[in-house]
Amino acid sequence: MDPIFVVSVVVALALFFDFTNGFHDTANAMATPIATGALKPRVAVAIAAVMNLIGAFLSTEVAKAISVSLINDDAQKTLFVGVVGAQMVFAGLTGAILWNLTTWFLGLPSSSSHALFGGLIGAAIAYAGTDAINGAKVLEKVVFPALFAPLIAGLAAFLATRVAFLVTARTQESRSKSGIGTGRGKFRAGQIFSSSLVALSHGTNDAQKTMGVITLVLVAAGIQSDGGHVELWVILTSALAIAIGTYSGGWRIIKTMGTGLSQIKPAQGFAAEVSTGVAILASSKLGFALSTTQVASGSVIGAGLGRKGGAVRWGKAGQIVVGWLFTLPAAGIVGALSAFLVKLGPVGFATDAIITVAAIIAIFQISKRNKVAHHNVTSEVEGASEVVASPRQVKRAAEKAARAAKKAAQKGKN
Amino acid sequence: MLELIDWSKFLQVLEATIFFAVGVVGLFSLGIRLLTNAQHSVPGANKGKSAAVRAEVLNRLGAYVAFGLCLVALGYGIMLVAPWIFGLETK
Repeated sequence: MDPIFVVSVVVALALFFDFTNGFHDTANAMATPIATGALKPRVAVAIAAVMNLIGAFLSTEVAKAISVSLINDDAQKTLFVGVVGAQMVFAGLTGAILWNLTTWFLGLPSSSSHALFGGLIGAAIAYAGTDAINGAKVLEKVVFPALFAPLIAGLAAFLATRVAFLVTARTQESRSKSGIGTGRGKFRAGQIFSSSLVALSHGTNDAQKTMGVITLVLVAAGIQSDGGHVELWVILTSALAIAIGTYSGGWRIIKTMGTGLSQIKPAQGFAAEVSTGVAILASSKLGFALSTTQVASGSVIGAGLGRKGGAVRWGKAGQIVVGWLFTLPAAGIVGALSAFLVKLGPVGFATDAIITVAAIIAIFQISKRNKVAHHNVTSEVEGASEVVASPRQVKRAAEKAARAAKKAAQKGKN
Repeated sequence: MLELIDWSKFLQVLEATIFFAVGVVGLFSLGIRLLTNAQHSVPGANKGKSAAVRAEVLNRLGAYVAFGLCLVALGYGIMLVAPWIFGLETK
């Protein structure tokens, strides 16, 4: 098979993956400012697209981490050379796309980034065994950041929310005496900046994953000598794909936003976004490839708990965490299955390509037929906000329990 | 395998995230508190009461300094990620 043909198919698929990533993740940056009324949906979506575009140009550390670190040096130089290397990346990428589409169709929580890494790792193992994988680097650059970053962002959002409420607090007495309110509504203005920061950081991390995959296939096919740098055209096309995806994804937000995150106050939204933006930027700087959705979700949960009287709904939290942990190995299995198919030769390659394209078309047709409603496009960040019960909800639940207990006691008396 | 991992990097992310997030949110909150104070001194300041004028000016100034420091922190963060924008290092 002609390596140039395989490389072209991989580049096209990678850019499509990048587009869907932007499409899916618009909500990460813009869910809270739209929910609190800080930004009009159309403006929010346009800002997110521009910021993603700029962010993609800022750094290439994550792209380098993917193109250099995941696959073992020796394996890259000896096993995954020429068309075999390009086919391995193709198999990993189709595995990731298939897993993403399936989870989207079934409404399961997932992560585009982990699907991508899982697919690539699974395909590499299917081709050359576990020795092909740089285990320590996978743990350092992918697995541990996935576990730690949402926790770090959540902790920062929790502390920041506490500080925000503490600094702006005024006692009831002083408020009625001076007539001065807390002024917390002004956090809405801050959210314009903080949500832009999240969109910018999203571009620095997620667009680079595509750049990393394209660089990996260019090195494998011998078109580029090493993975230590990223070609300008790769940066440019990846940046454009994620920005166009972000803008296209906006219509879903415009139609559906505003129910899931109704409990988030502007101060909490601001604290959550600053924490998300800083955690992703710091991780991008060190070349950690993480799931931006998970970091944003961690921050929303932390900010929810930071407000006095908030409580965790452990059942919902458990569901989300299980979804997070499941993605990487599951996408790995799909990536490995794709690799076994591609290894069969041109027929296997064509079959894998046809399955992927058919799945894309089918999902596109189904999504066109289905009416857009809140239940089928709820963002995962909104889902995360349901993990925390607001003080009002906690109070209502306590009142309900007290009423039930009173009723039961009366029944017992009778 | 775990000994090959550079754990100090995770500590750096933890420190940077908490320091910047809490710092920026704290400063912005302080700015909001001072600006709210300033806006409520305006009626007195309009009537020419010198204490109210002074309070309004000081609160407003403090608020703008706090918001300005937030922007500086944001710029510093972006400089750390992309120093080439500020001409500090070629990409």
